[in-house]
Order: sequence, then C-alpha cells, then structure tokens
Amino acid sequence: MLVSWNWLKEYVALQVDPAELEERLTMAGLNHEGTSRVEDDLAIDLEVTSNRPDCLGHLGVAREISILFQQELTSPPASPPQSSTPVTDLTRVTLECPELCYRYTARVIRGVRVGPSPDWLVDRLRTIGIGVINNIVDITNYVCMESGQPLHAFDLQKLGGPEILVRSARADEKFLAIDHKTYDLDPSMCIIADPNQAVAIGGVMGGAETEVSDSSVDLLIEAAEFDPVSVRTTARRLNLHSPSSYRFERGIDPEGVDWASRRCCELILDLAGGELAEGSLDVGREIPERQSIVLRWNQLPRVLGIEIEPDTVRRILAELGNQETTVDQQHVEVVPPSWRRDLTREIDLIEEIARIHGYDKIPEDTRVGMVPSHRTDDERVLEIVRRVLTAAGYDEAMTYSVISEEWSRSFSPWIKSPPLQSQIPMLHGADLLRHSLLPSLLGARRVNETLSNPVIELFETARIYLPGKESLPQEEHMLALTSGKRFCEVQGDLVELLAALNPDSELEVKDTHLDLFEPSRCVELWIDGQHAGYVGEVSQSGQKQFSLRKPTTLAELKLAVLSQIANLKRQHVPQSPYPPISRDLNLVVDENVRWSQIAAATRAAGAPLLENIRYNETYRDLEKDGPGKKRIFYSVTFRSSDRTLTGEETDAVRQKIENVCEQSCGAVLLK
Amino acid sequence: MTLAEFLNQLDELASSAQQQLEQAADLDALESARVEFIGTKSGRLKATQKLLGKIEKTDKPAAGKRFNEVKTQIQAAYEQQQQQQMANASGGGTGGEQFDPTVPGPRPRLGHLHPITQTIEELKDIMGRLGFSLADGPEIEDEWHNFEALNIPLSHPARDPLDNFYLRVGEKTYDQALLMRSQTSTVQIRVMENTRPPVRIISLGRVYRPDTPDATHLPMFHQIEGLLVDRQVTMADLKSVLRLFASSYLGADVHVRFRPSFFPFTEPSVEVDMRWNDKWIEMGGAGMVDPAVLKAVGYDPDEVTGFAFGLGIERLCARRHGIDDIREIYKNDVRFLHQF
Repeated sequence: MLVSWNWLKEYVALQVDPAELEERLTMAGLNHEGTSRVEDDLAIDLEVTSNRPDCLGHLGVAREISILFQQELTSPPASPPQSSTPVTDLTRVTLECPELCYRYTARVIRGVRVGPSPDWLVDRLRTIGIGVINNIVDITNYVCMESGQPLHAFDLQKLGGPEILVRSARADEKFLAIDHKTYDLDPSMCIIADPNQAVAIGGVMGGAETEVSDSSVDLLIEAAEFDPVSVRTTARRLNLHSPSSYRFERGIDPEGVDWASRRCCELILDLAGGELAEGSLDVGREIPERQSIVLRWNQLPRVLGIEIEPDTVRRILAELGNQETTVDQQHVEVVPPSWRRDLTREIDLIEEIARIHGYDKIPEDTRVGMVPSHRTDDERVLEIVRRVLTAAGYDEAMTYSVISEEWSRSFSPWIKSPPLQSQIPMLHGADLLRHSLLPSLLGARRVNETLSNPVIELFETARIYLPGKESLPQEEHMLALTSGKRFCEVQGDLVELLAALNPDSELEVKDTHLDLFEPSRCVELWIDGQHAGYVGEVSQSGQKQFSLRKPTTLAELKLAVLSQIANLKRQHVPQSPYPPISRDLNLVVDENVRWSQIAAATRAAGAPLLENIRYNETYRDLEKDGPGKKRIFYSVTFRSSDRTLTGEETDAVRQKIENVCEQSCGAVLLK
Repeated sequence: MTLAEFLNQLDELASSAQQQLEQAADLDALESARVEFIGTKSGRLKATQKLLGKIEKTDKPAAGKRFNEVKTQIQAAYEQQQQQQMANASGGGTGGEQFDPTVPGPRPRLGHLHPITQTIEELKDIMGRLGFSLADGPEIEDEWHNFEALNIPLSHPARDPLDNFYLRVGEKTYDQALLMRSQTSTVQIRVMENTRPPVRIISLGRVYRPDTPDATHLPMFHQIEGLLVDRQVTMADLKSVLRLFASSYLGADVHVRFRPSFFPFTEPSVEVDMRWNDKWIEMGGAGMVDPAVLKAVGYDPDEVTGFAFGLGIERLCARRHGIDDIREIYKNDVRFLHQF
C-alpha cells in the first residue's frame, strides 16, 4: 500500500522525519518496504498484512500514526448538502443475491460538470501511482484510497432504466468492462445490472457502457459491501485484480460504507458541482452488532511474559477505538471498533496491546528449562549413509518431487498403479508425484554431461509417493544413486555401506528384469531376507531415452530397510592375539557357477577357523580348461582365537574347502 | 699383543677413519675411504680384527667389545657422510635424479553433501542443543492438517486451489482433498494430536507452493519449524530461544527483534530479525500458538501456551553461501556441489 506523506498530513500532524515514521510503523506492523520522492511529496510503501484491511486507506494509516505518536486524528465530516428531491424519486435498487452482496447503497447527483481534477487531487493520486481520468472517477479513487472503501460512479443516463439490480450473473452472460475487454460471467459472480444487462461486476470492475465520460451529467454513486470470497473467486477467475477487489477480498468496514458515499458526494459537489438528491438507497443486511471481548488481566503476562499496567492497557485499547464496557480487578471488557473485524477474541486484544506497547519491551534472556533430546535412529542411519557415500566419492543431489509423464513411465518398479498427479504442474509441465528417484537423478546426470563434467557420481535421499488404501498415500524414504562406475564397483560401494550399518547383515541378489536396465546386469537386492532395492547398469535404450552419452550404473534402496537392519549399538568382540595364515585357491568351475556359491561353500567348510575370504579375479583359459569353464582365484585367511595355527592344520581346512567346493559346485582345484 | 696396545691401535684407527670420512670431498673420495677402513676384503678394520687372535684369552671380551664399538662408530660415520654427500649431489643440480615434492599424489575423490543438507544439519544441531527433537510427517497432507487445524478456514485465500498443489482425485478416493503440504506446520499438528504436552520439537522438510521459478522463488523448498508447548510458555521464552538460536548460528552474541506480522496459526504473530554487522536481517516468522490451534489438537489453551517459529532454509543457505540465484540449488551441477 502506497501512502502519500502530504496526504497523511491532512489527518494527523507529522512532527517527525519520514525515517522515524517509517521505523515506528514497521515496528507496529506496517512493514516499510521503501520510499520514493514524487515531486514535493513522498510515496511510502507499506506492507499491510491480510488481517488489517483498515490500513488500506490513508485514514487507517493516519489512525495508526495518531496512536503511535499520541496525536489527534481529524477526519473529514462528510456531510454534503442535499437537495429536496428524494433519491427514491430518481432510481431504485433491488438486491437479489444477499449472499454475494451484503449491502448496496446508492446516491444520485445531477447536473455535474465532468472535467479535469484540480492540481491537489492530481498530485495525491500521482504520488500513489494512480492515473487521472476525470474529476468524477478521480474522486471515487481518491475516496477509496482515503477510506479503504471502494466506490463506483455510473452515468445515470446511460443506465437502461431507473433501476439497479444486484444479482448473480447468468450462465452465459457476457460483460464489456471499462478496459474494453469482454468477459464471460458465471452464476457465482455478483453483478450490478440495469434492466437490460450487466453494468458492473460487483466489487471488481465497472462497465464500459455506463462509465463516466465528459458528457456525463447525472451520476449514481455506488458504495457497497460484497462477499469477500465471491469477489476473490471472481477476480481470480477473470484475472481482473483491482484496488477495489483487493479491498473487498480483505473485508471493508461496514460502517464506513455510508461515510465513503457521503464523502465522495461532498467532493463531487465541491469540485464538479451538481445537486445531491436527498437520502440514499440502502438495501441489504443490518450491520452486525459487535460482540464484546473480555480480557483477563492475568492473560497478558501469561502470554507475553511481561506485566503491563492496567491503565496503559486501557489507554491502548481506547486509542485503538475499542469501547470499554466494564472493568474490574479481574478483567476489562470492550467492544471493538467496526473497522477492526479482526478483533474478536481475547488473544486478538493481547496482540494489539503488545504491538502498540512495543515488542522491544519483551526480554530476550529468560531461562528456558533444559530437556533431553536425541537424534532419532532414522537420523543416525541417514548420517551413516551420507558419510559412507561421500567418502566413496558420491555428491549429494537434490531433485524435484514431481516429474514428467515420460520420466515417470521410464522406471517404476515399486508399484504398478499410476502415480498421483497434482492439479497444476510444478515445473515444465511435470505433474506426477514420483515413484522413484532414479529418473530425476538421470536428469541431473544429463545436466552434468551437458556441462562436460568428467566425474558424475550422485546420490539423493528423498521420498517417493505410492498411492494406497490408507487415509494418506504411502511415502517411502529412498536412497538412490547414479554412478559412472560399473555394476561391480557400485555393488562394492553398497556392500561397504551395509557393513557400515551392520557388519553382520547379509546381502543377496536375485535376477530380475527392468525396462531401464541391461537385461543381464540388473538385480534385486535383498538384505537379511527383505527386498531392499535394485542395482543395474542402464541399457543402451535407457541411455538414449535420457540422452546420456556415457554408461551409468544405478541403484535405489529403501531407507526403511537400511534403518531396520542397522546395528547402532555395537558390541565389543575380543580380537585374537594370534597371527593369521593365508591360502590362495584357484578353482575351475562351469560358467554358470556364481561366486556367491563358491563363497557360501567356502564359508561353510572353513568354519570356525576361516576369518576372511577375498575374491581376486575370474579368468578363462580356453586351451587348458575347454569351453564353458572359468577360473576363480581367491584367497582365504584363517585364524584361531586361542592358538597359533600350524601349517598342517591350515592345509587340512583348505583341503576341506576344496572338497566341499567340488561336491557342491563341481569345482576342480587348479594344481 | 697387550690389550692396551690393541685398544690404542683401535682408537687411532677410529679417529683417522672419522677424519678421512669427514674430509672426503665427494662420493668417490668417500668410497675410497670406505674401502680403506671398512672394506670387507682388505680394510684396515678387517686387519685389526685379525689382531684379536693375539690377545690374551682373559682380555678378549673387553677387546672384542671395544672392537665392535669402533666398527659401529665407523660404519655410522660412513653412512652419515654418504647421506650428506648424496644430498649435496642431488641439491647441486649435477644431473642426478631429483625428488620433486610438488608432484601431486593420487587424491581420493570425496563427495560433497548438498548445501541444503549442510544448512539443515547445522540448524538441527543447534536446535538439538536447545532440546528440540526432530519430528517427521507426510509431505502429502489432508486439508485438516494443512489448513483447518492451523486455523486457516475454507474462506481463507491461502486455500485457493491456484495457490496450492492439490492432487487430482483418481480411482483412489481419500476421505479429504489431498495436497502437497504448503508448510511443515502440519507436522506440529500431527505431533500434538498424538502427544500430551510438553512438546518441544522441530519439523523440517520439503514444502510446495506454486510459484514460477526465479532467483528467489521455487515451487519446492525446505522449511524448518520449531514448536514448544508447555505450561507457562511466554513470548519472552520465544524471544530468548530465538536469540540463543541466532547467537549459535551466527557465532556471536546476537540480538533479535520482533516486528508485528500475521499468520493464521499464531497470535501474536511476529517477523523475527537478527542484528548482524550493524544491520537487522530477516530471520523468519514466529509467534505464540493460536488458541484455536491448541483447541483443534485437543489441548486446553487455558492450561498450556506455546510458541512456534519457522525459517526458510533455501534463503538461509543462499545468504550464508552467497548464492544469488536459488535455482542453482536444484540444478545439481557437480561443480556447484563441490564448492560446499
């Protein structure tokens, strides 16, 4: 809300410099956004929160100033001389939709001279950035910016008859507005109509056909109160936002309607001449009576933490326009002013008192008691995940929760049902709540490839959204990563992560097939018997789909499974003081035998002396072993907790391992 | 040969070896001195060793001990000289191999945490020290938790479908209209619904509001909110906790001030500024939990009071790291990430 320094001075003496005024207003809730000089005036920009529509006019701001600086507030009397012709002889008003328009008032002035506004009026409007049109329109704008009550002037002779009808619009009704654009109306909108057609959209915009022009002579001045929600919906639907709709949306002072109408007529008579008909047409509901509010004295320190003298409280309440009805040792009871419809409860009064008394009076050094607090297990697991992955060279990415249909379709192994969709898209038409983090990470990978970044190792932890039968969709917290490394290395990173979470956890892989991945290089990950996620190398077609030049390996895991298997309270196991003994094994096996089988056989046969198995490599010697065979070379370490192992003992275990591998995997030892 | 004669001879050998080794001008001279004294075939030490046989049996241990001492001494002197000579040779730039300490070693590539995570962790850490525990809640919310319980009635403009990411209702019908939460206060409601006071929590995470992305706006961002509800909690406690927070975050004794503001779920509502480098900078919104909110979760506003505050994480992060366009934050350029 822009206010003019010179204009404010008409209602309250400003015996301070602008900087101090701005500071005080800021600290009282009208946040100063900036000030600019306009000719010999200042345009002061104040942020008015939505609960304070009373400050959407200069008088309201002046009232705040008068309270803050203990100055007298003078407001214009607004009592224009009236002629003897009753307004009821000239026109009629019918209100058909009291739910959309609470109250409608009209006054009639005949015989005006439309022309340019005087300099003082031009200056006022120019300071606050409102263009001048003619004296009549300028006066309605002026009074709106003075009181916060929007007004509209119709050319009475252009109305299609001596009757104003306030009704809801018809289904296919069209309307030509002042901006000379045609708008499609619907029955949720409140319109002002003459017997033939809509002449204004109530509270939003006037019509072109009845607007005041140089040839206008007789005027109908509208001052009304429209339903805030309806005005907001209408303005939004038609994308027609005006100072008028802005004020009606926030709620105007019901008792200010008539004052603004009189004030407007007073200025028109002064500046454009003419004759005001006697009385006004006033239809709609009675102004609701304000309920009184009880403030218990003990509630002020209870909420604010400071004592404020009852006399000070009563003075502030009175200056704010509250009428005190009773006061005693326990409480004070007041009726709030009509322009402060935000004041309905005790807490509202407490806030007002604190605001005017000053928040700077509240101390900032009370002793807030200590309580225990600790990190949750999920937080600790997440911390381990981040620590291991950053140590392994992965950077943390953060991507949007909502993705495009193309991305959504590319990978969705967790659920088959269609994704949730937002009514309005978030970015670039993306409106689907993701089922996986991987498409977004591939998008981030592409961004980095485009930038020619040589190493692209990214991970993200975030939620995916799975529609379900519960009262809310299921949100699963995921860990996903994209790497330039091959399957096996990424697998190694994940095994290290699992070891960091729980060294005793067991990882198992199961073959699977997913669209995005190379068929033979994609597996399900199972941890301690739970399906935890997927790892795979992206196929050529997958790469193409995401416009990636280089291959990438992806993994996605449920953090819930990681949390479940994590061992966060480790127990000490005594370490053997005796030396280890190592042996190498080199087995020839069929191509279809997997390392996991060899390892399992080795582990079973090597217990309890086997301490460690280390895979070295797999290679093939077609000449010696023939086709369909491969060699697996690995090392084992033995150690005892109670003695130094002898070579004979070790060789015996090694022999046992060889035998078991031969029996269970058909392995032949390479001598 | 007597012991005394033998020892004399050893001493002489030792001092003459020391002298010659020290005087050797270069590696060649050093080598010839080495051969002369400790050469394995015909070195003088070897010759002296042969004399040991001629010593009386009873004197032999003493003679042998001294012989070994001298041998070690000469050997050490030789090695010291050799090292020095070699150092001189390489330092002298005479064409030998030179060690270059500026050659880079293999550098492990460490990943970097996202700056938003780093900001969140710092804020969480500070609030944890002040006794606030983390509470979590869904990102997809119903209207009760996102609006109604937070004192945002249906007529409130904040509920406009164009200002929120409401979900389309598909085959699955939920009890209420769902939307992506527009604030993390929803978590406060969920916690209060399920816990009796006292409550001292922070909630944080992604929130969503339709906004065209620009340097200071994104349709998705992060918030952190604190809530403390108990008997006898006052606005002075709010100010004190925020001052402790600001002082911890900025690492100095910082003052805070309140400016009146308006939020539906707190009353009084304030904007919080902190004093930094002689300027007031905006920190976030705060206030006393509105009695209507306390009632909505089944608390008695005459029994308990509470305060709440909220901060936008992107803004804090951008300010701390000098990021002037917050769209960079979600671009995930590895070079961007590696700055933090």
